[in-house]
Amino acid sequence: MSGAVGRRGIMIGLVVLALAGCSNDPYPSADGNKKILYTSFSEAPKTLDPAVAYTTASHLITGNVYDTLLEYHFLKRPYQLIAALAERVPAPEPHADGGVSYRFQIRDGIAFQDDPCFALSQGAGRSRKVVAADFAFELARLADPAVNSPLAGSFAPVLGFSQFAERLTALRQADAAVANLPANVQYARAGGIAGVIAHGERELEIVLSEAKPQLLYFFAMPFTTPVPWEAVAYYDGRDGREHFADHPVGTGPYRLASYDKQYRMVLERNDAWYGRHALDAAPGSQFPGEIDAEDIASRAIDAGYAGRRLPFLERIMFVREREDIPRFNKFLQGYYDEGHIVKESFDAVVQNDSLSPQMAARGMRLDKTVEPSIFYIGFNMDDPVVGAAAGERGRKLRQAMSLVIDSKAYLELFLNARGVPAQSPLPPGLFGYDRDYRNPYRQPDLARAQKLMAEAGYRNGIDPANGAPLKLSFDTPNTTAQALLQYQFYVAAWRQLGLDVEINASTYNQFQAKVRRGAYQLFTWGWIADFPDPENFFFLLECSNAQSKSGGPNTANFCQPQFDRLYQEMKSLPNDAHRADLIRRMLALLEAERPWIELFHNEEYALSHAWVVNAKPMGLSYPTYKYMDVKPELRAQLQAEWNVPLRWPLYLALILMVAVTLPAVRTFYRERQ
Amino acid sequence: MAAYLIRRLGYGLMTVLGVLLLLFVLFFTVTDPDDIARKAVGERARPEVYAQWKKNHGYDRPLLVNRAYAASDRRRYTDTLLFDHYRRMLSFDFGNSDADDSSISRRLKEGMGPSLSLTVPLFVFGLVLGVLLALFVAFFRETYIDRAALVVCMLTMSIAGLLYIISGQYLIGMLLKWFPISGFAFEPWLAARFLALPLLVGIVSGMGADVRLYRTIFVEEINRDYVRTARAKGCGEARVMLAHVLRNALIPILTNIVITIPFLFTGALLLESFFGIPGLGSLTVEAIHGNDFSTLRTMVYLGALLFIAGQILTDISYALADPRVRLS
Repeated sequence: MSGAVGRRGIMIGLVVLALAGCSNDPYPSADGNKKILYTSFSEAPKTLDPAVAYTTASHLITGNVYDTLLEYHFLKRPYQLIAALAERVPAPEPHADGGVSYRFQIRDGIAFQDDPCFALSQGAGRSRKVVAADFAFELARLADPAVNSPLAGSFAPVLGFSQFAERLTALRQADAAVANLPANVQYARAGGIAGVIAHGERELEIVLSEAKPQLLYFFAMPFTTPVPWEAVAYYDGRDGREHFADHPVGTGPYRLASYDKQYRMVLERNDAWYGRHALDAAPGSQFPGEIDAEDIASRAIDAGYAGRRLPFLERIMFVREREDIPRFNKFLQGYYDEGHIVKESFDAVVQNDSLSPQMAARGMRLDKTVEPSIFYIGFNMDDPVVGAAAGERGRKLRQAMSLVIDSKAYLELFLNARGVPAQSPLPPGLFGYDRDYRNPYRQPDLARAQKLMAEAGYRNGIDPANGAPLKLSFDTPNTTAQALLQYQFYVAAWRQLGLDVEINASTYNQFQAKVRRGAYQLFTWGWIADFPDPENFFFLLECSNAQSKSGGPNTANFCQPQFDRLYQEMKSLPNDAHRADLIRRMLALLEAERPWIELFHNEEYALSHAWVVNAKPMGLSYPTYKYMDVKPELRAQLQAEWNVPLRWPLYLALILMVAVTLPAVRTFYRERQ
Repeated sequence: MAAYLIRRLGYGLMTVLGVLLLLFVLFFTVTDPDDIARKAVGERARPEVYAQWKKNHGYDRPLLVNRAYAASDRRRYTDTLLFDHYRRMLSFDFGNSDADDSSISRRLKEGMGPSLSLTVPLFVFGLVLGVLLALFVAFFRETYIDRAALVVCMLTMSIAGLLYIISGQYLIGMLLKWFPISGFAFEPWLAARFLALPLLVGIVSGMGADVRLYRTIFVEEINRDYVRTARAKGCGEARVMLAHVLRNALIPILTNIVITIPFLFTGALLLESFFGIPGLGSLTVEAIHGNDFSTLRTMVYLGALLFIAGQILTDISYALADPRVRLS
């Protein structure tokens, strides 16, 4: 018996000792004082091929590993393009036939990150200089049907883009062996894209068949990054080599040091990045000099960084966290430097639209960014009841229905007020957005709406044709219980007008099929812009894009000749006073016609700890890590303060266990004796 | 025994074929290749991109009959999604993930280690602790320890697994700060501190049902004549419990545990997902969320195979543990 007790004692002692040495720190202590940013990701990147990658998760990597000819100014709003790998933002060169050229002068001395793939062209060399042909190669990849880039359609205005794709397909069909050749050889055989011309090593000319200034924005996306043909040829997934989709080779400020998307991704500073060695002050290689006083006051930006050479972080570690709750708890412990608020903890973190006192006391920061997005309810303008065919009656019905939807109440009820009630399709941060503009049909006013209903001939919502409440159908692309509650909010608002609106919830696919068939009256949808230009919102309402006419994204089938004329003029203008005036006139038309009830612009809330510097998000899904910095000493100090293990509950539990079992053991043995 | 095994394998094969058919019907009833394509290439891609993706992944073929071929042409039935589904699964050619084109076989290999590093200790510690606790409770049967243990067992059985995970992370990781809330390391000496909390949570959440079952088995055995005889012959309590009661109670315990052994390979869905363990459980959860049909069917297929293997193993272990059982 004494032996057993002794063994038990040793076991308990071992447990106590093991726990005494326990800590909840998930990282090696040796990294404590390094400039490492610890962050998390929930969704794994599908691909790191810059021609295909189209998700925020992929852009975490591709946006850092691949550099682009242009990029967005980190701080200026409305968003402004600046030169990155290009020496300057090119001006359009109009042609007599209506076409336009853009000439990019490529910065000197840019080299790809070191990689074994360069053995294909350099022998023992592990890198090479970037040349204009590398940009042309990537543009050809965008056109290549085998690559299947989701953005291929956006480059259709590039002269000869689709013809190149057709020639390439024909070439492969004529000779199956062609598909086995390196991609650059295939593209050369297909003759290249007529409108993509490499003039020597440092000039790239893009010829468009029509004026489309918005195309420049695509040169700020990783889709148009320089890609070495050697990387595509070498990383083919054969003989133990990785796929190119898992092995990026770029010119960016960081290189991918470790990639296990189920577990962890690590970026390390690329010491060969042009920005660290350029003699001139390339705009994309240094911290902006002009910093808004508001950003400094709110600690979003540290003014001491103005003009400093980028990047500051040595390493960025992305840890896979599939679930929100553990991710948020680890952020609260200080083991993630930045985080997002989980719905369950929203009230504990945010109070009165700012950080709660408890969180503020920890030195935390809250940054709010409005996404370039719009969520709206649309009317099918081809519909005889709510559409253009109903004339003034339909217009007044739409206006009345718009007047009773309270976006602010919706946001507070369903989204913790994370959003900006929309007055027009244009979100904040875009040229043409006017923060003082108030759409007269987007200010909730039941009395006015009822008056409009009466003027439309639907007094108290009654359809005079049958004496019953006017019946409308509302098609939605989500069948979850939570989404249905949200749709009910709108239906309840319309019920105040006496309308009988029926929700037809379907899956996204079924919804799209309905849209293609034109079988809908009202619908709800959203749009997140690819680039921050008003054209990328107004095109959703242009007649030639109408779903019923061309299968385009104008799902409301809104066709208004005056709007289209203004749109055509506006879309190719620079951001000047004339363009602003055209936008005002377009908004006035939409205001009266009401093809949409503009609901809200989504707002992202991002949290960061006191030791994170320059954490201001950009708003577009572009990573801004090259501007960020951390203070590791402060992090180590606060982590230690916040994470002192509590050991007394263990001792208490052990004592309780003994106290509970001992009497039973004693009683049992007494009875046995 | 050999005839029995062959017969069981035959039944198993039919079950697997049925599972594959059910999986195919269920999957293509609730979704279609367009959904899979949209998840894979993104909501914003143009229709021609979806079409190309479906072609690249073989989803452009008809489900059951390919009317592009003549009635006499074999390909009318072989160049279909259903045939390809069976061909791939039965030849263990799992292909690539619909979500990211990665090789499913490679992901299975990569995920098995992390899964086993959680499930094997969970199984071993859970079993040993469950049996010991049940023996302890059975030993003190009809006392307040026994009654209190049964109440605690019922309570622990009534709580959802997810609550154990969230409250375990909050209590032990967040408040007591003993272990990291989540994470993983491939180095064994580092992995231990990440695995401690999921192990603890996993063991506690499964303990109630196990202890209650084993206790019932042990109490039944304790009341048998041979135990009284052993005691009359002067056997100590420890020997009676461990050498006699435990050994004879082994058969029903084997039923409970052997069938679970094959599933150690498929990982623990919720534990892996919440504790950030990059195993096969996480892979399955991700496939469910991502409409990754090719990965999901592989995991369900492997699950069915392992279930059948578990049943056969249980039967064999019966025969080995109890000489009275003969397989015929």
